[in-house]
Amino acid sequence: MKSDPDRIPGGRAAAERTADTCALPGSRGRRIAAEAFLLFATLLALFPVVLIFLEAFKPDAEIVHFRGILPHRWTLENFLEVLGSPEEVPILRWFANSVFISSMVTLLVLVVDSLAAFALARLNLPGRRWMFAAIVATMMVPGQVLLVPVYLILNRLGWIDTPLALIVPAGAGAFGVFLLHQFFQSIPRELEDAAAIDGCSTLGIYWHVVLPLARPALATLGVFTFIGSWNAFLGPLVFMDSVDKYTLPVGVALFQTSYYAEYGYTLAASVICTLPVLVVFVLFSRQIIRGISLTGLKG
Amino acid sequence: MGESTHFHRRASGYLFLLPYVVLFVLFLALPLAYGLGLSLFRWELVSPAPARFIGAGNYREALGDPYFWKALWATFRFVLLQVPITIVFALFTAVALDAVSARRQAFYRAACFLPGMISISVAGIVWRWFFNNEFGLFNAWLGAVGVKVPWISDPRLAMKSLAMMTLWWSFGGPTVIFLAGLKEIPRQLHDAAAIDGAGPVQRFRYITLPLLRPVFLFVVVMSTIGGFQMFGQAFMITRGGPEFSTRVLVQYIYETAFTHYRMGYGAAMSWMLFVVIAVFSLVQFRLIRERRRHEI
Repeated sequence: MKSDPDRIPGGRAAAERTADTCALPGSRGRRIAAEAFLLFATLLALFPVVLIFLEAFKPDAEIVHFRGILPHRWTLENFLEVLGSPEEVPILRWFANSVFISSMVTLLVLVVDSLAAFALARLNLPGRRWMFAAIVATMMVPGQVLLVPVYLILNRLGWIDTPLALIVPAGAGAFGVFLLHQFFQSIPRELEDAAAIDGCSTLGIYWHVVLPLARPALATLGVFTFIGSWNAFLGPLVFMDSVDKYTLPVGVALFQTSYYAEYGYTLAASVICTLPVLVVFVLFSRQIIRGISLTGLKG
Repeated sequence: MGESTHFHRRASGYLFLLPYVVLFVLFLALPLAYGLGLSLFRWELVSPAPARFIGAGNYREALGDPYFWKALWATFRFVLLQVPITIVFALFTAVALDAVSARRQAFYRAACFLPGMISISVAGIVWRWFFNNEFGLFNAWLGAVGVKVPWISDPRLAMKSLAMMTLWWSFGGPTVIFLAGLKEIPRQLHDAAAIDGAGPVQRFRYITLPLLRPVFLFVVVMSTIGGFQMFGQAFMITRGGPEFSTRVLVQYIYETAFTHYRMGYGAAMSWMLFVVIAVFSLVQFRLIRERRRHEI
């Protein structure tokens, strides 16, 4: 049982263990030291994030002459300015592009990877072992190595400067197949056999038995894929030419190069770029952290 | 009849694989081979001259190109500066997380992980402002004690500043993996050692560290691979400067292929980077095998 959910961090066993450890002699001082260190690490981690949000409500003069973390005069100027010039800075357009592209990538990855992982993990196809090995081996291939050839292939297909260039190649990644494969293997075979005896087709087993049981793994993969696609940088930077086709991070980054002295505007744009990710993170942080732990331990 | 049903099932099984395999071939396997082939040609995308086969010419050019060596050295410097501090900090954080109650642990862990969720363009914008010589936050604070640090305008300091920023941006992932590794260590070992009179430092040294070794090595190798692929930080914060001190290999490849449209040379340098990274990946495979042996 490789991917037993109970072994996942934050699980029941872990909670009990932590409670017990605290009963060890001399553990009180240790816990206080731990809390102090964590407070420091948390402050360090959160400070720049909080600052993005606070600074965006400051007038430029206050950002440049820093006089304290909280704004002396709260203002919406920066946001109005950023949202108010859709010809030069089509930030809502970029936002829509990002939402569309990230959603389509997530959908594509979930469908394609779950079908493939199901076939590799549950159907006794000849050659599935070496196919899985070949797919997993490509997880070691850094995306940058593929940049030039993928650009030329997309160019040949006529997809450069279209959303297809950012959506379709994202479906080739091996991470999702690997993650779902490990999860599908842990589903007891008896369930499938019972469904097959009841006259369920292979597609029916995939849809009615395996997918519902794999919901946690699918959620993890979905959240991961969405955030990864939302934050992707090098691909959109290279594959998109026209300003109104940019994704939000690339738009914001290139916007910064032309307005680099005007921190207020760029920070307001940063807030707009970060907010959706923060919402997704707050809603799904458990799935995200589980995904990270799984890659580390079962890698 | 049974035979034909069997055949039918098998064929439909491959149909499940088909969509992924098409994408895999078109956008992973093919580009990998295509890139290798491309690296043997001189090909400027914008010039009317057709691609010309030059064998190892691009690789020879790289070995004689001072900017290539400068970029490779910058990349190594970044890895050497960033990976150790990130890993040590992540390990400390994970050990601390392991010692607090489950509810607080969930909060702290999420907080530490949050920076990695911020897009590099936003993170870059904020840190570029932090580091700015005149208007930057850090120098505004340091100015109160009369100090001014040229964070990203001094070539000797710029890469260290990027490593510091990357520590903030990327320590959450290793922390979460370390914590998951710590939880796999049987509690009884700690209890037994405590009964035998071992203090927390000794238990960390003689129980936690040896048992965490496989996870530790995994994190080291993955962080190193990530470090070799650094691009966004340099692109956003320093633009590769000053004096090319932070222009890493990926940025040089990006400029070669997409500013100067030298596709063959760009592909060749990509493959050289790949070889460097592959050496580290092989190390990782070896370590995973060792880990298996360890468990038995």
